[in-house]
Amino acid sequence: MSLIVKMLFLAVSLSPALTLLVWGDAVAWPLLGGIELTFDLNPVSGFFMLLLALGAPLVALPMLRGAHEGPAYGLYALLLLGMQLLLLAGDFIGFFVGWEIMTWSSYLLLLRSERSDLEGAQSYILFNLASAFLLLAGILGFYSLTGDFRIEALASAGPAEQLILAALFGGAFLIKVGTLPLHIWVPRAYDQAPDTFSAFLSALMSKMGIYGLVLLPTLFPQGLAGLLGSLLNGPAAGYILAWIGVITSIIATFKAISQEDMKRLLAYSSIAQVGYITTAIGVGSSLALGGALFQALVHTLVKLLLFITFAGIILQTGQRRFNDLGHLIDRMPIAFFAVLIGIIGLAGMPPLPGFAAKYLIFVALIDARWLLLLAAMLLSSTAAFIYCYKLIYAPFLGHANSPEAKAATEAPWPYLVPQVMLMGLLVLLGIFPGLAIELVIDPVLIGLGMAALGAPSPGELATAYGGYDGVVLMSVFGSAFMIVTGLFFLLRGRMRRAGSAYDLSFAGEVPTAETPLHYGAGMGRELRRIPLVDWILSRTTTRFQAGLTRQSLAASGLLGGLYRRDPQTWILLAVLLFAVALTLMLLAGGL
Amino acid sequence: MELQLTPVWFIALPLLVAFASPLWVRLQLLMPLLFAVPLLLLVLAISLVPVVRAAPLLETIVIAPPLGIHLHLDAAALVMLILFNLAGALMAAFLWLGDTEPYLRGRQPFILIMLLITGCTGMVLTGDLFNLYVFLEIAGVSAYALSALRRDRGALEAGLKYLIIGSVAAVFFLFAVVLIYLQTGQLNMAAVASDFAGIPAPMQALIGLLLLVGLGIKAELFPFNFWVPDIYRGSDPATAALFSGILVKAFIFVLFHLVFLLLADPDVARAWLMGLGALTMLVAELVALRQQDLRRMLAYSSLGQVGLIVLALGFASEATTAGALFHMVNHTLVKLLLFFVAALMLRRVLSLRLGDLHGIGHRMPVATGLFVLGSLAVLGLPPLSGFISKLWILKGFAAAQLFWPIALILLAALIEAAYYFRWIKVFYDTDPAKAHPGIMAGPVQGAPVYLPLLLIGGLLLLFGVAPFLLEVSFVEGAQSLLAREATLEQVLGARL
Amino acid sequence: MHVILDALAMIGLSYVMGFLFYGFYRQFSARVQRRWGPSIWQNFFDNMKFLLKSETLSHGPMFFFGPMIIAAGAITTVLFVPFLKDSDWLQGFSHSGNLILIVYLLVVGPLGNALAVGSSGNPFGVMGVTRGLTRLMGLEVPFFLGLALVMLQHETTSVHAIMAAQDGIAQWNLFTNPIAFMVILLPFIASQNASPFDVVGAPVEVYAGPRVEFGGRLLGVLMTQNMMMTIAKLVLVVDLFMGGATNIFILIAKAFSLFLLTAAISLAFPRLKTEQTVDFFWKVPLGLGVLGVVATVWFPWGA
Repeated sequence: MSLIVKMLFLAVSLSPALTLLVWGDAVAWPLLGGIELTFDLNPVSGFFMLLLALGAPLVALPMLRGAHEGPAYGLYALLLLGMQLLLLAGDFIGFFVGWEIMTWSSYLLLLRSERSDLEGAQSYILFNLASAFLLLAGILGFYSLTGDFRIEALASAGPAEQLILAALFGGAFLIKVGTLPLHIWVPRAYDQAPDTFSAFLSALMSKMGIYGLVLLPTLFPQGLAGLLGSLLNGPAAGYILAWIGVITSIIATFKAISQEDMKRLLAYSSIAQVGYITTAIGVGSSLALGGALFQALVHTLVKLLLFITFAGIILQTGQRRFNDLGHLIDRMPIAFFAVLIGIIGLAGMPPLPGFAAKYLIFVALIDARWLLLLAAMLLSSTAAFIYCYKLIYAPFLGHANSPEAKAATEAPWPYLVPQVMLMGLLVLLGIFPGLAIELVIDPVLIGLGMAALGAPSPGELATAYGGYDGVVLMSVFGSAFMIVTGLFFLLRGRMRRAGSAYDLSFAGEVPTAETPLHYGAGMGRELRRIPLVDWILSRTTTRFQAGLTRQSLAASGLLGGLYRRDPQTWILLAVLLFAVALTLMLLAGGL
Repeated sequence: MELQLTPVWFIALPLLVAFASPLWVRLQLLMPLLFAVPLLLLVLAISLVPVVRAAPLLETIVIAPPLGIHLHLDAAALVMLILFNLAGALMAAFLWLGDTEPYLRGRQPFILIMLLITGCTGMVLTGDLFNLYVFLEIAGVSAYALSALRRDRGALEAGLKYLIIGSVAAVFFLFAVVLIYLQTGQLNMAAVASDFAGIPAPMQALIGLLLLVGLGIKAELFPFNFWVPDIYRGSDPATAALFSGILVKAFIFVLFHLVFLLLADPDVARAWLMGLGALTMLVAELVALRQQDLRRMLAYSSLGQVGLIVLALGFASEATTAGALFHMVNHTLVKLLLFFVAALMLRRVLSLRLGDLHGIGHRMPVATGLFVLGSLAVLGLPPLSGFISKLWILKGFAAAQLFWPIALILLAALIEAAYYFRWIKVFYDTDPAKAHPGIMAGPVQGAPVYLPLLLIGGLLLLFGVAPFLLEVSFVEGAQSLLAREATLEQVLGARL
Repeated sequence: MHVILDALAMIGLSYVMGFLFYGFYRQFSARVQRRWGPSIWQNFFDNMKFLLKSETLSHGPMFFFGPMIIAAGAITTVLFVPFLKDSDWLQGFSHSGNLILIVYLLVVGPLGNALAVGSSGNPFGVMGVTRGLTRLMGLEVPFFLGLALVMLQHETTSVHAIMAAQDGIAQWNLFTNPIAFMVILLPFIASQNASPFDVVGAPVEVYAGPRVEFGGRLLGVLMTQNMMMTIAKLVLVVDLFMGGATNIFILIAKAFSLFLLTAAISLAFPRLKTEQTVDFFWKVPLGLGVLGVVATVWFPWGA
């Protein structure tokens, strides 16, 4: 019985792939009052559907482990349904329906974690609902202008109206992607969600906000350029959006470095990475959008890989803090390689596809002549090296820092299969960036009415500014590595393995098991001596939000005082109000 | 002899059945009949849909002029009738199938529930101000008695308080009726409406205010609704479901029926009603944030929804009115569902305080799941029906380029989400340390009691996914509610 | 065949230039400090000594593979930098790459090193790596901004195209875009791990540096790649700002003069702490870069 349910669940998780493959004609569903929901697959939504089709089964696989949990499976299926509705929707109501189903079903899934607390759950649902209601307000504003709910360019609207709409929609999507200062729900939710589900939140659900942001320029007749005029050879609105994205990624990167919990670090890193995408969308050229989509693809794969791997580590050790792990490289080698590939992708190092994405975005920024943005983005992307290093050093290298870390074994196969598949995909994409451009990115760009990037060969990433060849790069690096290693062994002399883990050059002393040798959480602490970093790290929006909660509760208490419990007051108030209103009306009536 | 399917049956049948209750006690038919009568009337109402669509049904039983019973069944009233009888049948099914407390199963509750439904039906159907007052008192008195049924301190206190505030409201209303009669010499609403413009303006204002305060108290509008949480808290959750589901709806309907009928130009009252609705909504949602008792929380949430409905009806465009009618239906279903769940939890846990309900989702999964469903519907999240009705209202405002109600409605929904999801989070809390030691003292409920709840859930989902099934009814209801001229012509023409 | 020979020639040239330049640097700094200093071949001898050590201590597989990754990264970098312009030789695979790729390849080394150091389990080593990454964070921003100014000037990321655009000495980017050169100069010195930004791996800091656990042949490999990397970076700057070179001698001459400039700067200033380094880079070169952007991009009076 439980096996059948699990197989059924797995089949459901493949539904986005099925939708992608066999989707036929548009489907329409009349709702009421002339509102008709239309669903169809277009190239843009197809791209995001592809991400979902890749990610959904890979997240579902680890969920299958252990006793079967009917409600969780059901909610996950609902979540997938919601996201597919959202992507297929050809009108705003369908979009909103999918958006909301996604919101509440993911919230209920989040509640199933033992770690979720009231604060985290509330901030998740309230931020997401705030985003949804902004979206709905935008949709209604759109409707009041066009009298129609279809997703298409506004035929005629004044500049002020366009600006308000852009602000509403933009606000909604920016909350969803966790833009600062509206990000506080992200680390809490990713941290508290069931471990494998965090992968879904970070890799796939944040992409729905990106989908919205990609659609945003298509709503306005002249794209972002029509909103605020132009600035520095580009649309001013795009410039603002790009800066929002970059500042988000800088701050989130430094916050990530200072985290001591693995999943919180990944959460902040997710905010930062999605910030790059926001920036690229702000630039808005076909090069930039290509970069944004590529980055979305890579980020999806990387975050799936990292979250699933860390879920495996947490499953095997029960530890989530950097301080409590260490030296898992011998015990969990597959996880080590998964994280290695993951951080190379995250850091955007060649030859993995993270570099291709960054390359496109950088070139787009140079092309747009927005060099200060480029510098700011580079700051965040270089600082990201530090947290990437923390991600691999603290759990895998150094010294084991807890009994669990000393006895851990490789995660069970439902965790390993997605890891291996994702590693393979990442390496493949790194070698053949051109293939990804041809197959995945270009159809979307054409669908958006932009110039395709094109690729001369599967291995080559080409732009007007030059490009690079992934195949050559990988083979040069690979052969150099093999030659160096081979030569090393040919040389005279022998290698000796250190006698013990404490056989170290330790300032002239001999360390013992009691010596604190793991540098896990200390990493990045020195950074606070840099004035800018210290300034960033000492700021937080938590207090503001706690204050908001306090104020609304105070207002609630104040108003609640009106609801007295004695009937005399009720009657007195009713009569008094009656008398006052009557007097006022009679006075106003001019008697 | 052919049985005439006239509107009078909706009032006569429950009255007759209620007064013959000793017979049913002997035959042990109380519960089946409590269920069957609303069901029968529901079927009758549905079968009347095509008839009413053609033309409203009018029926006049003259007692002694000007006193008489004048019934007027138009599309809007029919929607309310279907709603009341559906709610009555669901309520009866819940009482019947569940392991209900004895004080809700005897002869008294039988009579009182029947009278409550009759009173509400009468208020909706009647075309005569004096009858309206009579039905208002019937519904009111049965409600006071219902809330005191449990006969413990809390219930008796609630009943007494309800009696006091209800009587004050009735006095205001009666005073308004008397003034109208003195000014126009008429009691028939249509006739009064056609003469209303002739009354001096200050008198109009006085009558309007008296009506507003009287019905405002009954319909739970903001500065007059301070009594609500206390009464809902003191009553049994199942009866609170009736108050929130049927009684309030009837009063809102009456309020707007009078407004739309009496005032030739609804703009006069628009600002007042929309303002009061918005205030009711915001204040209630904000106050609900801090509530620690499930019944109080639901009471405030109910107030919030009432505010929304009044806001939408007050605007009086076709779309918002239709949406508001739909929202009334949804809100009735949802509040029935939520109060039923509260009743089940109360029986099981013997408390409805937030602190005592930690982790109840793991012990009562179906009930809690239904609570979540109801919350989603009341918050207006798709794919449940609450979303459609809210969307309809919002769309009406958007089409009229009026944006402040949209902003307020969305803000209120956000605040509402804050407390509903707080409760849900507590229900699903996994921390065993927080679980109340005295939890689960009550008996386990059987499976059949969930049937009406599941039915409500199914309806919420159905109306959310396929709202076009009901669209025509609400649009026609809104049209008939707003079509003052046509109504006057029909009624006065029929009397000639 | 041509490709293999060419690659080997590039590797060989960069190695030879590397130890000679470093040998010269040791002489030069000794003379500045009024010492005799070692011979110009000393770096070669040191390197060979390390590479031929009979015993090497290892701390596990990753510890071993780290230096291999660094060396492979250095070789790849060398092969992606074109040494000569308008020539079939000493091109490597530079036609398959571009400037941004090279900048990122420069970072492969430090990251491979970081893996190995982490694997050794020495906290001082990791501390050094963290400092190194922090410094990288500081220097990369102005460095890349300066390069971006050049890329924007020529509207390409291809090193070949940038080289080709600088025909005569008057067209050197050093003269047409002096701000960019000034912006990258100090970060460039830091990226060479040279004084005054050398706190990470400085000789007296060995106990807190990334190299702390390495010895024997592994240290030899690290030293080799370091010399090659230095040359690759010098050649890159020559290509970008000094018009490249048409033959080896011009290349050596230009690279040497650039090296002399950086060495002179290195010797003139005292060492900075890591956070001072970062703060300095974010204030002075980056500030200059921002001014450059404002001057050349926002107000394009030149164009």
